[in-house]
Amino acid sequence: MDNQKEWIMIRIRIGWLFLVAGVLVGFVGVIAELQLGHLFKDFRIVTGLGILLVGIGAGYLVRYGSALKDEKSALRLTVEERDERSVLIRARAGNRAFWVSTVLINIGLMWSSFASNDRLPPLTGDTLWFYLAAAVLLPFGIYITSILVDERNL
Amino acid sequence: MKNKLEEFRNRNGWTQQELADRVEVSRQTIISLESGRYNPSILLAFRLARLFKLQVEDLFLFSDEENHHG
Repeated sequence: MDNQKEWIMIRIRIGWLFLVAGVLVGFVGVIAELQLGHLFKDFRIVTGLGILLVGIGAGYLVRYGSALKDEKSALRLTVEERDERSVLIRARAGNRAFWVSTVLINIGLMWSSFASNDRLPPLTGDTLWFYLAAAVLLPFGIYITSILVDERNL
Repeated sequence: MKNKLEEFRNRNGWTQQELADRVEVSRQTIISLESGRYNPSILLAFRLARLFKLQVEDLFLFSDEENHHG
């Protein structure tokens, strides 16, 4: 088996892993909702996670499965994804997003520490929701922006 | 880092895509290399040099400025 095919086969195995894990998690979520629904408010979050994993797995299988059938597209796909400049750009973007995420999490942690000593107002309700949303979206925005900027400059 | 990639590519009559296919990188990487915006990994530098039957230092020009992390 050549290098490209082996690389694609690894991706397909990862896809199956996500798919199977998603089905299992989803199944556990549904069963828990039916059997243990009285214990917690909502088990649908577990089912939702299962659906997300199934989606990721299916995405992998469709993307890499179709490349396996055609040698030319397999080569193009592996070249695109393993291209060292693209890998560098993604790594730089990930690094920047990581630092933004770390700073936001630390600010949140410090804020709640001070709030527990009544030195700052507590983060509750909408404020907490918006802060958490920013902590998720801002690093993602930095990641995308960094890729766009580096694609142009590098 | 300056390089003679475009010169040797043209000498061989290859397009950027053809060169990219031969060394298994994207065409965009070749464009960035030729414009001097991107410095290749040592592995890619050797692959390119071998492709043109050159030494790495014949293809990529290391200047004193770069020696001082300029």
